[in-house]
Amino acid sequence: MPPAGIWIDGLIQSCAYMTMAFGMVLVFSILGILNWTHGQFYMLGAFVVYYAITAVGIPFPLGLLAAGVLVAGLSILVKKIIIDHITGDLYVGVATMGLIFFFEGAASMIFGMQDKGLARVLPGVVDLGSFSVSYQKIAVVSFTLVIMIILFIMLNFTRIGLAIRATAQQPDAASLYGVSVERLSLTVMGIGCGLAAMAGGIIAPLYTINPFIGGIPMIMSLLAIVIGGLGSLTGAIVGGLILGFLNSVVAYHLSYLSEVVLFMLVVIILLVRPQGLFGASVK
Amino acid sequence: MMTYIDYKDVVPKAVIGLVVLLILLVPIITTNESTLSILILSGIWAIAVMGFTLVLRTGQFSLGQAAFMAIGGYTSAILTAQMGWSFWPAFLLAGLVSGLAAFLVGMVVLRVGGIYFSIITLSLCEVIRIVAQQWESVTRGARGLITAQPNPIPLGFFEINFFSSTVPYFYLTVCLVAFTALVFWRIGESRLGRSFAGVALNPVLAEHQGMYLMKYRVIAFTVAGVFTGLAGSLYAHFLTVLTPTMLGLWQSIQILIMSIVGGIGSLVGGPIIGSILLYTFGSYLTRLDIYGIQQLLFGAVVVLVLLFLPKGTGLVDLWGRFWTKVIWREKEFEMDEAEE
Repeated sequence: MPPAGIWIDGLIQSCAYMTMAFGMVLVFSILGILNWTHGQFYMLGAFVVYYAITAVGIPFPLGLLAAGVLVAGLSILVKKIIIDHITGDLYVGVATMGLIFFFEGAASMIFGMQDKGLARVLPGVVDLGSFSVSYQKIAVVSFTLVIMIILFIMLNFTRIGLAIRATAQQPDAASLYGVSVERLSLTVMGIGCGLAAMAGGIIAPLYTINPFIGGIPMIMSLLAIVIGGLGSLTGAIVGGLILGFLNSVVAYHLSYLSEVVLFMLVVIILLVRPQGLFGASVK
Repeated sequence: MMTYIDYKDVVPKAVIGLVVLLILLVPIITTNESTLSILILSGIWAIAVMGFTLVLRTGQFSLGQAAFMAIGGYTSAILTAQMGWSFWPAFLLAGLVSGLAAFLVGMVVLRVGGIYFSIITLSLCEVIRIVAQQWESVTRGARGLITAQPNPIPLGFFEINFFSSTVPYFYLTVCLVAFTALVFWRIGESRLGRSFAGVALNPVLAEHQGMYLMKYRVIAFTVAGVFTGLAGSLYAHFLTVLTPTMLGLWQSIQILIMSIVGGIGSLVGGPIIGSILLYTFGSYLTRLDIYGIQQLLFGAVVVLVLLFLPKGTGLVDLWGRFWTKVIWREKEFEMDEAEE
C-alpha cells in the first residue's frame, strides 16, 4: 500500500479531472463537440486567481468566483464568434485545437513564460496521526464536492436542468417544447468552461502556474470522459476518479511506467467496451 | 459533408508544372541553408499530412500520426546509430516497420471507429513517446539518438555528399514527396480511393454493397503508416538528432491542423499547400522576438482559415477559386460545367 499522502494527491488530481471532465461532458452533450480548449480555460482560471490575489488583492473565494465568471464570459464569446460560424463537428474540433495555440500564446505574451507560485492561501495542516493534510487540500476536495452537489441539484431538480437533459436527449423535441437551444448552449458552454476555470483556480495554490499547465489536465479529462462513456455525466466523474488515482498511486509503484499503464488501460477499456464504462451502446 | 473537387480541370497543367520546376530550381536560386531546411522540413511534414488525409478519407480521425513518424525515425536511428547499418537499408526498413506497426494497430483499433479511434491513437502516440523516453539502453532517452548521415554516393566525376550541404537532402525530400504524391494520387483516382470515400460518407450503405469496411480502413492506415514512417526516418536523419519530445501529441495535432487548413478535398494538393504554408509561416514567426506571439498568430490563422474557408475546403480551394474567378472571370465554379 502506498502511503496516505499518495492517496490524497490522487484525490486532489481526481478532483481537478472530475470537475473538468464534467464540464466537457456537459458541453459535449448539448453542443455535440469536444472542446479541446478546455485545458486552456483551466490555465486561464489559475491565472485569474493568481492575479486576483497578488495584484488586486481580493480574497481567494472571490478570486475563484471571478475566474469562473470571466472564463465563462470568454467561452461564451468563443462560442458566439467562432464555434457558431463553423459548420461540421470535425472542423469545430480542429478550430478549438487552433485555439489551444492561440490562448497559450496569448497567455505567454500577457503573463510571461516563467513559473509562478501562489503562496498557500489557507495555511495550516490537520494532523491525523501518521500523516497530515493541509487545509488547502481539504478545501480542494470540499469545493469539488460542493460543486458536484450543486450541479447534481441543478441538473435534476431545476427547470434549466430539465432543459439541459431534454436537449441532450432530443434537441429538436426540446426546442418544440419551448427550450431555446441556442440560449441553452450558450449557458452550458459558460458553465462547462467556468467549471474548468474554477478547477484551475482552486488547485492553483498547490502547483506552479505557467501558460502550459492546461495540457495534461486536458488530456486526462478527455481520457476520463472517453473511458467513462462519452455523454455520460456519471462516467465523467468515475473516469476522473480512476485516472486521478491511477496517475498517483500507480506512479508510486511503477514511476514512469504508470503513464504507459494508464494509456494502455484506456486502450483496453475502449477495445473491450467502445462505448465506455457508463455510455449507452453505440449504434 | 466532404466534397471532392478535382482541380486538374481548373488549373492549367502548365502552371502546376511551372511551380514544380521552380521548386526544383530552388537550390540554384538560393543556397541559404535556412530557406532550404524550411522547405525540406515542410516537405517531410507534407508526407505525414498526406498520410493523415488518406486515413481521414476513410472517415477515421487519427491523432497518432506522429507516432508512426517516431517509429520510423527510431527504427532507422537505432539501426544506423547503434547497429552500424548504412542509411539506405535503414531508411527502407523504417517504412516497412512503421507500415507493419500501422497494420497491426489498425487490425485491432480500427474496429472501434470515430472518436474512440482518435483517443486510442492519441494514447498510443503518448505510449510511444514515453517508451522512447524511458528505454534508455536503446533510445538513449531524453538525450536523444545521434543519427548517422547517408554515405556519399559517387557518380563518376560528381559525388552526392550529404555531409557538406543540405542540397542532397532537398532533392531526396522532393523525390520522396513526389513519389508519395504519385502513389496517393493514383490511389485517389482508382477504385480503391473511391471506396475509401464511400466507406467514409456512408458506412452502412457501403457495407450493404458488399464492401468490408475494415479492409479499406486497414489498407488506408497501413499505406499512410509506410509513408509516414519514411518521413519520420528522413526527419530524424535530416535533423541529425532524434529526441522523444520531437514527435509527440503536439506534432500529431500539428499534422491534423496542416491537413484541415490545407484542405482535405484533395489527397495531394491540400496537404502539400497546407504544410508548406503553415510550416513556413510558423518558422518565420519564431524569428519574432516577442514570446508567445508565434503561437497566438498560428492559432489565429488556423481559426480564420476554418472560419472563412469552411468545410475543410482549406487553402487549396483558394487556388481553384483564384483560377475560376480571376483568370476565367466566372462568378461561380460549377462542377458540371467544368466536366463538359
